[in-house]
Amino acid sequence: MLKQKAPSAATRADLCRITVRGKDGSEDVFDIRRNDLLLKAAIDQGIEYPHNCRVGVCGTCKTRLISGRVSPMVDLALSPLKNAEIEAGFVLACQAKVRGDLVVEVKLGHHTMLPVTTVSARVSRWRKLPGEVIDLRLALDTPVHFHAGQYATIAESGSFTRRSYSFYDAPPMDNGAPASEVGFLVKRLPGGRFSEWLFAEDRSGTKFWMEAPFGVMGVDEYDRDGLCVAGGTGIAPILSIVADRLRRSTTAKFTIVLGVRSATDTFAEPYLRALVDQAPDRVRVVTILSHEPEGSTWAGPRGLVTEALGPELGLDFAQVSAFICGNLGMVEAVERKLIGLGVAEERIHADKFIPSGTP
Amino acid sequence: MTDYFKYLLSPAILSLHAWGMWMGGNYTWIGLAALVGVLCFDAFLPRDYSMRDQRYVRIYDVICAMTVLASFGNIFFYAWLVGSGHFETTASSIGAFVSMVFIGFVIGAPPVHELFHREEFVLRWLGRTGQCLIYDPWREITHVVTHHMRVATPDDPDYARRGDTVYGHILRTFPGQWKEAYHLEKMMWTKRGRKWFDPRNAWVYKAATLVIFTGILYALGGLLGTVLAILSLLLGPRMMLEVFNYVNHYGLISATPGRFEKHHTWNHISPLTRILALEITNHAGHHEDSYKPFYKLEPDTNGPVQPQFLLVVLLAFVPPLFFMMIKPLLKHWDQHYASPQEREIARRENERAGWHELNQPDPVNDLPPGIWRVAEA
Repeated sequence: MLKQKAPSAATRADLCRITVRGKDGSEDVFDIRRNDLLLKAAIDQGIEYPHNCRVGVCGTCKTRLISGRVSPMVDLALSPLKNAEIEAGFVLACQAKVRGDLVVEVKLGHHTMLPVTTVSARVSRWRKLPGEVIDLRLALDTPVHFHAGQYATIAESGSFTRRSYSFYDAPPMDNGAPASEVGFLVKRLPGGRFSEWLFAEDRSGTKFWMEAPFGVMGVDEYDRDGLCVAGGTGIAPILSIVADRLRRSTTAKFTIVLGVRSATDTFAEPYLRALVDQAPDRVRVVTILSHEPEGSTWAGPRGLVTEALGPELGLDFAQVSAFICGNLGMVEAVERKLIGLGVAEERIHADKFIPSGTP
Repeated sequence: MTDYFKYLLSPAILSLHAWGMWMGGNYTWIGLAALVGVLCFDAFLPRDYSMRDQRYVRIYDVICAMTVLASFGNIFFYAWLVGSGHFETTASSIGAFVSMVFIGFVIGAPPVHELFHREEFVLRWLGRTGQCLIYDPWREITHVVTHHMRVATPDDPDYARRGDTVYGHILRTFPGQWKEAYHLEKMMWTKRGRKWFDPRNAWVYKAATLVIFTGILYALGGLLGTVLAILSLLLGPRMMLEVFNYVNHYGLISATPGRFEKHHTWNHISPLTRILALEITNHAGHHEDSYKPFYKLEPDTNGPVQPQFLLVVLLAFVPPLFFMMIKPLLKHWDQHYASPQEREIARRENERAGWHELNQPDPVNDLPPGIWRVAEA
């Protein structure tokens, strides 16, 4: 596959040719202006480059530099890249200023890129759920398009504090229609500036600003069976992806493995039940508890979420698409486990929670 | 070709100051007098939005590097003069010290900042080592990483919110920077799997540089020369840099942290300030691309502009006067530059500062639109 996209504003001498090689042998070529940031320039051209925060803290735009030169805006040791990755030539595209022609390895998406917009909104639902989670729904003043599994950055009107959360809704049924209301699952983090504010009182009617959509989590063939692994409120994008895929495919089956601390953390139950009710023979949910007291009535599996992943799930791991969402450590552990079980690396889609870095 | 020679103004003032110190007596004030004279003259000049000649850019780099080296020479010279009892009168001692303070800030610090942003190894090394001239080799890390990423938000220790005085800012910014610098240094040695004392860690190099620098000062100037030289660096470039940071993003608001937009900074576009400060006051261009050399920065022809640099820095030390100057400008920014989301944050920031009048439109007294556009400047 070869596609050419050339910005018109720059002369040939100012342009650098970026060749992107995928692990599946695909090759994409595009031009960007010298000294532009790799990720920003790619996104501006509508190229579906994997990304999340765009400021060097999430690591989603991790890219292996095969040849050419980039200048990282910050020391890569200050990024989520591991030292071994840095030494192996990985860079963060969001921080990489392009200094010449490049050959890089990264997995591009091939969906239509949706424009990121900032819209105002009002809280249409503020509901406390078990497990210190709030179901926060925003009625948008201007409807917004998004793909399943994407996320938004939200901020209360008048506040500097912004946080990113995944939509738990599937995109609207009508193909191509924007969403006029969206929902998020917000976990309370002790001392967290935003979540503590949100928990303090009913925020119904409060004005918000939302910037969206971000992320490219849900890409893969729709008819492929899915193994979805979530930690806590990481279930949100999984709910979106599974609901969307159940509509798009009549055959794909989904196994959702949800890791929570104890049997009282039942915040996800109504949403998962709705999915199962939608397609009882195609959706299965496995809940595993990490901190359930000994001797409780819980009869299901106990331990870390990785311990629920194994042959007992009865899946053909070589064929499934995997979707993982949770904190960084959990996602990395699950990725390792799934690769060990035979899941193809290019079919593992992950969304990592990274703390904001500010309380 | 005149563009190149403009930047010789800094080394020229440095040389004059060194000559004044050598002459002793009241001549020790000559460096300060020249500096203040140039900046006062600058206050009466129209804004300068011109671009620099780009044909022989190496000349700019040479002048910049030369200014850093001359600044090293200057502080060593001062320590030696103090140590050898050269300043016989109180007036000459004070003159030399005060001149060192202000010249160190206006002339010594900008080329150091310029070079530690550079990519070329030698220039960057000189910039990093040059941080001895602000007696804080750690300044770079919170500047390059934290400040440039979180500008115009309270998560940037360099940022002053509406209502903050420069004195409160100084008390907050230093602990904020130290905490952040430790966090970042620790992340680097942890990520690389090293012990905290590993000699390959950046902080070890920085500490060693500072020790060697202090050792040279001591060898030249003894205890008194070392103490006064360091004090001049701390009171001058080190502290005044924070005054510069205080004014440069004062009260501006970013609703998109990590994604700089040109209206997130103030600019000082008067011609001689641009030259002495190596274009750092041409601040939007610097934030837009912090790797861009000073001679390539494009002044923002529609960007927020503060009054002349020296005036603003002096006003900062008198908070009621500073607030009197900045409030109408902030109100103008809120009305004409802020995004709708930023305007709402500004509204709350005004309430927080007790500046409720900024939230009340006053068509008669509010500044008219377009005051910062170059065509109407």
